[in-house]
Amino acid sequence: MGTFIQLVIDGLSTGSIYAALALAIVLVNQATGLINFAQGGMAVLSAYVAWALNGLGIPLLLAILAAVVISFFLGAVIERYLIRRFERGDPDTAVVVTIGLLTLITGFCAWIWTYNNRLFPSLFPLETIQIAGAVISVRSLGTFIVIVACMLLLQALFLGTKLGLALRAVAINPASAAFSGVNVGRNLMIGWGLAAVLGAVAGVLVAPQLTLTPGMMDSALVYALAACILGGLSSPIGVVVAAWLIGVLENLAAVYVPFIGHDLKIAVPFILIFVVLFLRPQGLFGRKAVVRV
Amino acid sequence: MSTNRRRMRVASVVAGIGIVAVLAAGCARGGGSPNDTDDGGAAEASPGITDDSITLGITTPLSGPTAGPGTCTVAGITAYFGAKNAEGGVEFGDGNTRTVEIEALDDEYDPQKAKANYDQLKSSVFAMTAGLGTPTNRAWLDAAIADEVPQVLIMTGDPIFSNQEESPWQLGFVPIYQNEGEAFGELLAGSAEDHKVAILSQNDDYGEGYVEGFKTAIEGADNIEVVKELTYEATDTSVDAQLTELAGSGADVFFNAMSITPLVISSLQKSQELGWLPSWFLPSNTSSPTAILEPGGAAAFPGVYTVAFAQSAAAPTFAESEDGAAFLEGLKEYANYPDVPAFPHCVWSYQIGATLEEVFGSMTEPTRENFMEALRDVSGFTAPLMLEGSTVDTTQDGQPAVSTVQVQKYNGKGYAPAESWDE
Repeated sequence: MGTFIQLVIDGLSTGSIYAALALAIVLVNQATGLINFAQGGMAVLSAYVAWALNGLGIPLLLAILAAVVISFFLGAVIERYLIRRFERGDPDTAVVVTIGLLTLITGFCAWIWTYNNRLFPSLFPLETIQIAGAVISVRSLGTFIVIVACMLLLQALFLGTKLGLALRAVAINPASAAFSGVNVGRNLMIGWGLAAVLGAVAGVLVAPQLTLTPGMMDSALVYALAACILGGLSSPIGVVVAAWLIGVLENLAAVYVPFIGHDLKIAVPFILIFVVLFLRPQGLFGRKAVVRV
Repeated sequence: MSTNRRRMRVASVVAGIGIVAVLAAGCARGGGSPNDTDDGGAAEASPGITDDSITLGITTPLSGPTAGPGTCTVAGITAYFGAKNAEGGVEFGDGNTRTVEIEALDDEYDPQKAKANYDQLKSSVFAMTAGLGTPTNRAWLDAAIADEVPQVLIMTGDPIFSNQEESPWQLGFVPIYQNEGEAFGELLAGSAEDHKVAILSQNDDYGEGYVEGFKTAIEGADNIEVVKELTYEATDTSVDAQLTELAGSGADVFFNAMSITPLVISSLQKSQELGWLPSWFLPSNTSSPTAILEPGGAAAFPGVYTVAFAQSAAAPTFAESEDGAAFLEGLKEYANYPDVPAFPHCVWSYQIGATLEEVFGSMTEPTRENFMEALRDVSGFTAPLMLEGSTVDTTQDGQPAVSTVQVQKYNGKGYAPAESWDE
């Protein structure tokens, strides 16, 4: 039983990292209708900025907050001067552009900081708490709590504020939103900025565990995309639940399903996607787009 | 309304990426079969060598998760020959003094890229050397044999490269995985107490080689029992689930044949979180005190063992020794590597440089054939920065250039020789 609980808790903790990245992807998708494949690369860049600031002697928490602020502006600038040209155009082009951006950012990080593994200090101590025969690390728990907080804030932003309403209006129908006096361009920039902030949070949470390298977020991005599809691109809560589900199921399948084992567990989230999309094309929590004729 | 179509599009792109990820995880490459070569050597100069210079090629990971050690494989040899070139060059056995140029390309630890790099280099370099990685070096093993291009003193512990019949144009530099696993197994089997062993290994030749060597050594030892054996993929980002499972086995010795730096760090941490405190064995390339053990908090375990044949650059007395100082100076001066390297590969690569110089000194013709002959004729050579008891010996078929390793135990700062398990 201890092993089972342990695997679930660990799954939730790794799932939380996927969730943060998935949340960022959802945010951009809600604001601009695009999938930003560079979200992982941007997260890595943010983590490097935090690491570099910390290296200059700035306390870790301050360095992270500064990196978060810098990330917001960076996200907004990328949207305004690069992505703006591809929004509302052919989505295939936009996909390629963001993948190109991912490659560019990864190369940029490598150029400045090399590919050596950098040790990133953890916000949380390496201590553990014993619960029901399972050992829970403070780091896993902290990661989990931070992501839940981000998710609730985001949901509140979308549903309970004027800004959230404007963001949603711009996403659904930019032309009508502009006629109603919404500043479309500014809202798009804010959407990208917020997504970059989420990415930064994910980056600094995962860096202590994986050590900081330019490609640190590559596989997390694949899982985050899986979570987006599984949870439904229109639901922040949905993608987080899906990300947790992926993290937990992957762990459980590896240990309890003999033929999967630790070598095939990477396939689990994708098998899950096929099954879910077969039954619910809009994802677990997604809304169907309805067209009135 | 196009949201639905767009969503389907995005879904299909994501599904595509997923499939690629799954395929990438599942594709392991096997080795090729050796070709016969005829060593009919004409004395006209091979590619990559003139009367005043020789060019060596390297394909190695300079980006991606193994970039830390990979960068080192280029830095060490560049530092060695940088210093030699500054003195005017290396004296060859044919009477010429040549400068040594290095052409290094990044393969990202990807076998396809390594093969492409080799194809790009093969007609402009005299020999390929020093590159890191088993799957990557295997990817162009057959091609190098067919093209009669030396692929020598490379950093892989795969025994195929040191078997002359299978690999006439190859020779590994570092001990084979079996040598390492066996050395640790022998130490453990010599213990006066009973031990339960948990094994975690990388799901490829690397992991299998270590486990094979270990099991050979403990065969017939009544006091050693392997209680649980698991694998992981080199592409995995977490092995928490495996450690949870292994911790449940109650083993007091953990044989961890793992080549991925961040995974070793997180294994050390996870194991402590679980309250599982066995004695550890770690491979020579993932047991660095500064890069791995300290961040992993390895001092918490009763013992962390590894094997080595070279001095550690992080050791406190290293920089004070003449060889150590020259090595660090060369890295800074010629290899654009100002830090004290956290990986042993920098020292190994430096030793490869010294070994090559030894070989160049007995070459009588500027040909690859003659080079291979000279290469297989080095014995009892002590390269700079070698540990007491280890030497370079290329005359043993089936063994790499360095096959003698010393088991060492972590003492909280660096490593000290371990004579027996119960000391």
